[in-house]
Amino acid sequence: MAASKEEEEHLKGSGKRLKCSKAGRYRVVAEEDVAPFEGEEYGVEEDDGDDVGDEQLEEDTELPLKPGLFFYPLTPTSFVVSDALELDFPIIYVNTVFESFTGYRADEALGRNCRFLQYRDPRAQRRHPLVDPVVVSEIRRCLEQGLEFQGELLNFRKDGTPLVNRLKLAPIHDDDGIVTHVIGIQIFSEAKIDLNCISYPVFKETYENECEQTTVYTPTDGPLSFVQHQEMCGILQLSDEVLAHNILSRLTPRDVASIGSVCRRIRHLTKNEHLRKMVCQNAWGRDVTGALERMTEKLGWGRLARELTTLEAVCWRKLMVGGAVEPSRCNFSACAAGNRLVLFGGEGVNMQPMDDTFVLNLDAANPEWRRVSVESSPPGRWGHTLSCLNGSWLVVFGGCGRQGLLNDVYVLDLDAKHPTWKEVLGGTPPLPRSWHSSCTVEGSKLVVSGGCTDAGVLLSDTYLLDLTTDKPTWKEIPTSWAPPSRLGHSLSVYGRTKLLMFGGLAKSGHLRLRSGEAYTIDLDDEEPQWRQLECSALNSIGSQSAVVPPPRLDHVAVSMPCGRILIFGGSIAGLHSPSQVFLLDPSEEKPSWRILNAPGQPPKYAWGHSTCVVGGTRVLVLGGHTGEEWILNELHELCLASRQDMDAA
Amino acid sequence: MSSSSSSSSPSCPKKMITLKSSDGETFEIEEIAALQSKTLESMIDENCASTPVPLPNITGKILAKVVEYCTKHAEVGADAESLRAWDAEFVSVDHPTLFDYILAANFLEIPTLLNLACQSVADMVKGKTPDEIHKIFNIKSTFTPEEEEELRRENQWAFD
Repeated sequence: MAASKEEEEHLKGSGKRLKCSKAGRYRVVAEEDVAPFEGEEYGVEEDDGDDVGDEQLEEDTELPLKPGLFFYPLTPTSFVVSDALELDFPIIYVNTVFESFTGYRADEALGRNCRFLQYRDPRAQRRHPLVDPVVVSEIRRCLEQGLEFQGELLNFRKDGTPLVNRLKLAPIHDDDGIVTHVIGIQIFSEAKIDLNCISYPVFKETYENECEQTTVYTPTDGPLSFVQHQEMCGILQLSDEVLAHNILSRLTPRDVASIGSVCRRIRHLTKNEHLRKMVCQNAWGRDVTGALERMTEKLGWGRLARELTTLEAVCWRKLMVGGAVEPSRCNFSACAAGNRLVLFGGEGVNMQPMDDTFVLNLDAANPEWRRVSVESSPPGRWGHTLSCLNGSWLVVFGGCGRQGLLNDVYVLDLDAKHPTWKEVLGGTPPLPRSWHSSCTVEGSKLVVSGGCTDAGVLLSDTYLLDLTTDKPTWKEIPTSWAPPSRLGHSLSVYGRTKLLMFGGLAKSGHLRLRSGEAYTIDLDDEEPQWRQLECSALNSIGSQSAVVPPPRLDHVAVSMPCGRILIFGGSIAGLHSPSQVFLLDPSEEKPSWRILNAPGQPPKYAWGHSTCVVGGTRVLVLGGHTGEEWILNELHELCLASRQDMDAA
Repeated sequence: MSSSSSSSSPSCPKKMITLKSSDGETFEIEEIAALQSKTLESMIDENCASTPVPLPNITGKILAKVVEYCTKHAEVGADAESLRAWDAEFVSVDHPTLFDYILAANFLEIPTLLNLACQSVADMVKGKTPDEIHKIFNIKSTFTPEEEEELRRENQWAFD
């Protein structure tokens, strides 16, 4: 049923949510308001074939999207909207540019998932073999996680002509943050491919003269048939697609380098950038590889994986920044949100608890500290923890405020239009405390452990708050044994759900002593248990020799992308160099500490640092006590991989 | 092929489809088990599965095992632990058979079997040096000695 003229006018102004109908015409169903695409007509088409009018996106269109998400080319662009709340993302709108490029009319596209463009013709049942399945699964992953996607894909016109589709997908959220629609912008161009070509396009240079066995797929109308050459090495019978996508992608970067040395064909497959990225994603997780994306523009995934495994390019450098964190303070807490450092609270003059928030944007040409203007702040405090959730959210817990120790939770969305701290009431909170440690697991689960509560009592508990649920509730993680209670220790995440606790000032009989012990727990276990990590001091070759780090508190611990933890600094008894960097891989069979010798100038300050990992490969150290004052404008950076703006050696 | 126990009403006959291997053997599989294969699923949807479905690239030996896998995984009420153990048993086979499973699962689009078999292969590679991988999979290197040397230097970092 075509919308009437009145409805059409109404639609343009108010942005009602549309549902598609099989008959191919638009029908207004839901009354709820959706942010309108101003300047863009909803494609309400007349049956009589009149020109609907120019549906080109206007340059100054106000779309409910983050700025900089799309660029608006001057030529008309193909545009699709899919319904993210219905099964399989049915298309609810396509513009005329889409129709003319693809040859499919709107009524032939509506209600379908846009994968039909990957089929060679309307009667096909599955996507054409030359469509890159790596990209397809990347799209699926982005849709599942509500992320933007950008990439290139082979598509087909209705008449079977191949097209290259430069595609951008962006999710649209409603006020509650739920993805309601997905917008697709397509730039179609001619595809210069040979459809009779047999091998998987991404690996187009498979050797014809190879005397190794290959499998030849002949696309026919019926089931695929293949011709198998003489029996030899079984693994090489598999197609490039299966070999790369299903087997090689499951290996660690190290294993990929190993198997890549075995024969020419596999070597060739392992040089593919798509594959290398998948390997890194599977090995380190999507969050980490997302953060590392920018580094790969210069280095490529293979080189990055190698550098992060060998740490061959590690070095210290000094970074001066502008602005000021004023009034001056110590005992604040800082963390990284993407490429921004955020600092909250701290102890000012006269032990005054502070409640202001500062941001340092490292992406800026001249980074400088800026105070974040918030509508409301948590009560001022020091000795608290600040952690990052899901990219741009921050969470504060505990600390010592004006009236004593705290156990409240506040969150802030740094990217909100008017950022403001909001309290999260989480049921029964843990005991109020300061000098505890915290970390974020799987993006949104806050874990807190130990610290010092009222009357100076040390704690040894572990609590978890899942901030993804509707009503986050604190849950104690019951363990049959816990490491001795302590403060000033570090908690680091590795292997997605495992934690490493190190150091601190720990209870030892009647005394409190600096600890050099490491403990681990896997939160994924049915009954997670803390275990002491027996670390040996093996000898190893290269620049990493084995020494056990001296006991310390208020040190710095950083999780590296490949599952290892870096430790340095802290308040150390004796004459040990505080800036010595130690490495540990807790997931090794026999974990052992290694010293990392990094050239350059390390920070001189011994304790009270805060460190943040920016962009996955830059470890920034700020603050730290010189003995006289706390420095915030001079940062020290431990680069884990070759920097983009430096010559790659 | 004995069909697995099912909780459907006894008066309703189980829908079966017939598969034909490359060497002419036929196998019956419950439709519900066949649905694990996306290829067979779309054939069933298009009503192409009423006559025996020819699978010219899968031998009878492998097809029998694939049918066994699909039937097992279509069972209701199997507990995860015992299914995992059964899966581990299923892929404890020689390499040629394992690769045949992968080829069959790839063609028939059975994601669970594909993942299972590929993970098995990946596990064989984990932590191995190139020499060890050569031996395990019986792969002949076609590199010249100069290329070998270059590779060794390039990938030395992986073996430190």
